[in-house]
Amino acid sequence: MAEVTADAPEEQRSPAGPQSPSEHTGGLRRLPKVARLVISVLAIWALIAGIGTMFQAFAYYPQYFPKLLQGVLAVVLGVLGAAAVFYFINLFVESLPDRVSGRILPYAFLLPGVGLIGLMLLYPTVQTINYSFANADSTAYVGLENYATIFGNPNFWSAMINNLLWLLIVPAAVVFFGTLVAVLADRLPGSAENVTKSLIFLPMAISFVGAATIWGAIYAYEPSGQAQTGILNAIVTGFGGEPVSWLSQTQLRLNNLLLMVILIWLQVGFGMVLLSSAIKGVPEDTLEAGRIDGANEFQIFTRIVIPQIRGTMVTVFVTLVILVLKVFDIVYVMTNGRDNTDVIANLFFREIFANSQSGVASAIVVVLLIAVTPVLIYQVRTFRKEEAMR
Amino acid sequence: MRTRTKRLLAGISIGLVIVLFGTGCLRDPNASNRNGGGGGEAIADGGTTDGDKQVEIFGSFSGAEQEGLEKELKAFQERTGITVSYTGSSDFATIIKTRVQGGDMPDIALFPQPGGLLEMAQLKQVAPIDTFLDYDAIDRTLVPGFLESARLNGRVYGAPVRMAVKSVVWMPKAYEEAGYSTEVESIQELEQISDRNRDSGTAPWCIGFNADQSTGWVGTDWIEEYMLRMWGPDVYDDWTSHRIPFNDEKVQQAFDAFGKIIKTEGNVFGGSDGVINTPFGDAMNPAFQDPPKCLLHRQANFAYSFYPKEIQEDLDNKVDVMKLPRYEGEYSGSPVLGGGDLAGLFNGNDPDAIEVMKFLTSDQFGQLWAADGGYLSPHKTFDQSKYPDETTRKIADMAADADVFRFDGSDLMPKAVGSGTFWTGMVDWVRGNKSTKEVTDEIEASWPK
Repeated sequence: MAEVTADAPEEQRSPAGPQSPSEHTGGLRRLPKVARLVISVLAIWALIAGIGTMFQAFAYYPQYFPKLLQGVLAVVLGVLGAAAVFYFINLFVESLPDRVSGRILPYAFLLPGVGLIGLMLLYPTVQTINYSFANADSTAYVGLENYATIFGNPNFWSAMINNLLWLLIVPAAVVFFGTLVAVLADRLPGSAENVTKSLIFLPMAISFVGAATIWGAIYAYEPSGQAQTGILNAIVTGFGGEPVSWLSQTQLRLNNLLLMVILIWLQVGFGMVLLSSAIKGVPEDTLEAGRIDGANEFQIFTRIVIPQIRGTMVTVFVTLVILVLKVFDIVYVMTNGRDNTDVIANLFFREIFANSQSGVASAIVVVLLIAVTPVLIYQVRTFRKEEAMR
Repeated sequence: MRTRTKRLLAGISIGLVIVLFGTGCLRDPNASNRNGGGGGEAIADGGTTDGDKQVEIFGSFSGAEQEGLEKELKAFQERTGITVSYTGSSDFATIIKTRVQGGDMPDIALFPQPGGLLEMAQLKQVAPIDTFLDYDAIDRTLVPGFLESARLNGRVYGAPVRMAVKSVVWMPKAYEEAGYSTEVESIQELEQISDRNRDSGTAPWCIGFNADQSTGWVGTDWIEEYMLRMWGPDVYDDWTSHRIPFNDEKVQQAFDAFGKIIKTEGNVFGGSDGVINTPFGDAMNPAFQDPPKCLLHRQANFAYSFYPKEIQEDLDNKVDVMKLPRYEGEYSGSPVLGGGDLAGLFNGNDPDAIEVMKFLTSDQFGQLWAADGGYLSPHKTFDQSKYPDETTRKIADMAADADVFRFDGSDLMPKAVGSGTFWTGMVDWVRGNKSTKEVTDEIEASWPK
């Protein structure tokens, strides 16, 4: 097979362009069409089954396959196998009547990719929905019991409220501070602008867990009379106050706010970079025109700049909304949901990994999925609109 | 535009139908387990080749613990010619499950919690110890009650290799110097000492619950100590196996009795905020300050490994230990709460593996490991002179003299409770957000059906 594909480029290309497969099939091309159809179908089936069996063998009999051999086999057979599958798909389509083959070909080549997405994305999604109606180890259906369990659990509602707060506060704060920093940095001279922007962008390079650890040192609490290792409490006691256990402050869900600060700190840099380039893209003559009409700087910003960067602001906002719906690491590391700080993702993690309740965990994910869907639809719509405007 | 949408919808629905056909089923509840080894009559026949003088052990020990274990195994190898290889992983609980599912089990596994061992016993993957060990002989030398933790449907599936003792009260020398007794008869007497201590201006207790994601387990240990002391081992077993509900009157009384220590104003250094925020390993540090900020710390035998270096190096002269005393009430015995690593045999047909099991579960095992510290033998007959210091000997005595030994109850409960709502419940309860009744009701409600 390798020889066949290697020969291919030397052969003449058909006038239909580089995508036309008609000349790429080498020796098998000389067989009658029906034989080619049968051979290609059998070959595709054999290849998929063979490679599948190989990976299954790795899993079932690890003692016969040392790690290195597994890796080499996976790479070699995986790559060659994929190439061969495409070769036979090509052979198959090409053996169909010309009228049909031309129309089907692009879809045939898309099929493996779409199939993989289906396998990795669609299949787990549907399976999760399916499992959400089943018991803890997914062996029997229990109807809506899991949903009754989560909706009847006050902790779930507390987590929902927290997620809502995160949604309301974090994306808006990131867009606000991102725009603010971008606008102000835009007015700095060249190198100062770069330094400022780099510094603000820096936290983006820190993982959520790392950031949580850093902020853990800011919120740390030691009993009164001990040396305060947390910066906030060191300041408070420096002014003669009593140390405060920050992450236990449940009034007005202050502790949730303190956790959000971490994510805002991490993400403002992301917002700033996008918004900054958007602001730089605002045509100078529109600003000029505004100035000539007697607008002051604030009016120019709100009436000329903002409308022109609105698309970017929406992009940042929506990206953050999706990020916030998935927020987990910060809460897991800092409080693990203590003192009413739980969020949906952490609740799900606890159910599946700590409690081994895959039914309940799936139900939580389904609720999360339903919550994200409108945001996704909105994002796709705005994206389409923007594409249409270009 | 319209037709495009229609086509898209058609495509999506075809995709969904295909996927649904693929997924419409659930897992098979009776999935069979493959066996790795072959032949033989024993109940469990996994592991590596039989009778080849090679034995594989899998466990959770790493670092210093692994060194200690390997010292023992090396000496055993020199004596018997059986090569024993040990691999350890901190993710033991998950990996042993996948290895057993894949038919690739070790000959012997060292389970840090009885739950994992019993799960394997349920799958008929480990051999009951009566098939290859002299059960009565082991039972005689072990701390009483130890084997109960590995019992399933009447048979015992594992034997302890190492023991942890939780019922230890640690005190800095300042405690004795201040004139308080280290020979305390009952928890009530200990409460009186705490009261005197508090009246003199020092918080008597050092307690820290914080362990990041596991915050609260220290509190569950306390409740277990009280349950065991107030009502005795039978009620304790009923409680951990859910034969009595978690919100039973007796459990609530145990909470309230512990509340006298932890909830009395000024009784614990740092108050409830201090308890929740102080890592359990740092909890005793204020006791070593001058003057000490607190004097009593109940924590397992490994607690000293978190103490400041200068304390660790001179342990016998810096700290005192006593057993958390009995509770003056319904039950009169003096029990000990603890834990242990249990060895389970996967390969019941391999004479070499059985030889290793005999060694691991004997009172001869651990003499080299003990010298390095961090090892306590579960056998009453273990040669105490092998322990590195007086403190360790005293702790070993506590277990040997105990009327009864019970395993850490939260390890025996389902994970949703034992490492879930019981932990978070303790935090809510200590903080005073919820009453004893509310907390125990919630934990009871979370018990998997």
